[in-house]
Amino acid sequence: MNTITDAVVIGGGIAGLQVALDLADQGFDVVIVEKEPSIGGKMISLSKVFPTLDCSSCICTPRMAAAAHHERITIMTCSEVQAVQRVGEHFSVTIRTRPRYVIESACIGCRKCEYACPVLVPHEFEGNLGARRAIYVPFTNAMPQVALLDVENCTFCGACARACPTDAIDYLQEPAITEMEAGAVVVASGYALTETQTADRYGGGKLANVLTGLQMERLLAPHGPYGRVLRPSDGRIPDTVAFVQCAGSRDHSLPEGQGVPWCSRVCCMYAIKQAMLLSGSLPLVDITIYYMDIRAFGKGFEQFYQNARAMGINFVKARVARITEGENANPVLRIERIEEDGRVEDQPHDMVVLTPGIVAGWDPSSVIPVQIGSDGFVLSEHASLAPCRTRVPGVFVAGTASGPKDIPDSIVEAGAAAMEAANHLRRTAYASRRRTEAEAGGR
Amino acid sequence: MSMSLATDFRKDVVRLGAGDLTACMNCGSCTATCALSEGTAAFPRKTIRYLQIGAKGQIEGSLEPWLCYYCGDCSVSCPREANPGETMMAARRWLTARYDWTGLSRWMYRSHWVELGALLAVAAVVLALFLIPSGFGFRALSSHPEALDTVRLDLFASRTFVHIGDLILAFVLSTLLLSNAARMVYLAMRGRRVPIRAWIRPVTEFVVHGLTQRRWRDCDNDDSRFNWLRHILLVSGYGTMFVLVVVFLNPFQVEDTAWHWTSLLGYYATLVLLAASFTILSDRIRKRTQMHAFSHFTDWLFPILLALTSLTGIVLHLLRLMDLAMPTYVAYVIHLCVAVPMLAVEVPFGKWAHLLYRPLAMYLEAVRKRAAAEA
Repeated sequence: MNTITDAVVIGGGIAGLQVALDLADQGFDVVIVEKEPSIGGKMISLSKVFPTLDCSSCICTPRMAAAAHHERITIMTCSEVQAVQRVGEHFSVTIRTRPRYVIESACIGCRKCEYACPVLVPHEFEGNLGARRAIYVPFTNAMPQVALLDVENCTFCGACARACPTDAIDYLQEPAITEMEAGAVVVASGYALTETQTADRYGGGKLANVLTGLQMERLLAPHGPYGRVLRPSDGRIPDTVAFVQCAGSRDHSLPEGQGVPWCSRVCCMYAIKQAMLLSGSLPLVDITIYYMDIRAFGKGFEQFYQNARAMGINFVKARVARITEGENANPVLRIERIEEDGRVEDQPHDMVVLTPGIVAGWDPSSVIPVQIGSDGFVLSEHASLAPCRTRVPGVFVAGTASGPKDIPDSIVEAGAAAMEAANHLRRTAYASRRRTEAEAGGR
Repeated sequence: MSMSLATDFRKDVVRLGAGDLTACMNCGSCTATCALSEGTAAFPRKTIRYLQIGAKGQIEGSLEPWLCYYCGDCSVSCPREANPGETMMAARRWLTARYDWTGLSRWMYRSHWVELGALLAVAAVVLALFLIPSGFGFRALSSHPEALDTVRLDLFASRTFVHIGDLILAFVLSTLLLSNAARMVYLAMRGRRVPIRAWIRPVTEFVVHGLTQRRWRDCDNDDSRFNWLRHILLVSGYGTMFVLVVVFLNPFQVEDTAWHWTSLLGYYATLVLLAASFTILSDRIRKRTQMHAFSHFTDWLFPILLALTSLTGIVLHLLRLMDLAMPTYVAYVIHLCVAVPMLAVEVPFGKWAHLLYRPLAMYLEAVRKRAAAEA
């Protein structure tokens, strides 16, 4: 399949969606390439956002819908960019689309296949805390509302095909390659978390009641895996919950993949947010946040932090040195009471949330010759004056692909990247020439 | 609690090899990682904090540096690579210098030229003792020509004189060391009300830790077990040699090639000293464990001197067995020119002083605890 567009946006998270909307609203054609089966990125999996405590789904879903229904925006899910080649002033983008084994145009998202499927697998979207079927709609507010079949776990029993009212199941789908011609490329590939929980000092990944921040988001989300906050090990309501700050951030001692030396910028605030939400959903729970220092630097952040203190959330200055398992599968944190007499204590909690480090979600340098910093994030042409321009003309970057940042900053940067891309398209006259040629060719 | 701050204090300790004090942001993960931290005798963060702010008075009186056995876990897990383990080591160096009332220790810790100069000066005195007096050393040989044909060590260096020298050296060095230790007790305990009872009961701590270094075994890693084992063997070898030289010099310093019961002990001590000092040096060269990753020049000097003492002792022993008279005498003098300066410099002023300071710190910590419990 060969197509032409004005701009390709790599990544359909909140930054990528904003870039696409801002470009499309200016009259440019945009293709969003998303590797997951739904757009929405990390934000759609969050419970609420700081510091406003807006429901994340409620403010993210309209953006997803706006992009999905925009006449100038094409969304390609289950798709990855394999190569970006410069041809004159424009780019040739090779996109590989994995088969869903469900015909996208035929599927009506009724989920009958899902109800018929006999296979249960841990649900990645729920941080592996809940279960899904082998054929499933990615999550309740996924966009597009189209099922996909997970061939790794499918038993090919045929139940889904028999249940499907529109005969949308196609076991024989093949991967598809799309050659896309575009005048600009925007990298909005987002972030990933370090595997901090696998570090020996944090229990080596073996402690059931040690969760990551994103798993806690799912427990707190109204449509989360349990529908309420429960301990994974035994389904009990936790009495004490601890947050371990800088677990994997600002840490030179952990190996690559488990920790990063920089500050991940959002953990202080989302831990405070989660603590507030927890005390809302479990009014009797004791919450302790172990921190090195609270970085509440954004607009309204300090007030948010002070509110949390006033609500009775305990803030203890101590870096957690070790997590072991005590009685009743309780994680036990070893800390120094720095602000008291400096004694060392083993403090048990029912449940512990680690806030892992933030690393780049994807390395674009394998397909686009953009420069990558030593931290793995995309390098800007100029960190302060041109944060959205990469060192390749026509390739721009937005959101956490260029470094850890929160949602408002990602949105702002997405707008800036869209403006840079629009300027580039106008300067190279790519879009207007393309339209003229199309009209002349009678296309 | 009032405290006075010394602005140049931090520079002093950094000169002695402390880690990056400015990197530390007091997160406390070192203290919480430490297997030996317990109750309020928790370290290293507090010690580092005192160093950062220049709380000299707090460091002077602190025992924590001596309670640390440097397993290195804190340095490995420090998120800022501030090297708390080596900072504790530097604090021990600073304390050793602080306890020493002569001020020599401070000089020697700050400049390796001074330390080498001191070693050479003591060696020169030893050499002079063998060259100048008429009835002793090389000048004694002129009146005993038979001592040039066969080894007559007693004519070259009479056991009576050497024994007297031993005892004088032991007296001077222990006086210096004990007076330094008295300053340590004063600095650690001043301003505290300690009932007599609290001073007496914990004496067992002193004896047990002095003999076994048991606390080291509580360090929570395998390297520490090995290091403890090597150290206790080294101590046993050193102790054996000390007893042979100071108490049993008569049966130890012999001149014939016959079998002596002291040889067995001598062989054991030499073997242990040699093995320990060489493996310590190899560990420091290879930076085998965190403890060996950073080496101050005093960390090199001590095992080098130990190894040289053992090697010259072996050469001396072989030459005597081969009955080579003059080479034996020369080897004897060289052996003493290494061993005596090592003892004279390291025991009261250097790294070796820890043999008293560590068990004393354990004892004083126990006294403090007991006093606090009774109060």
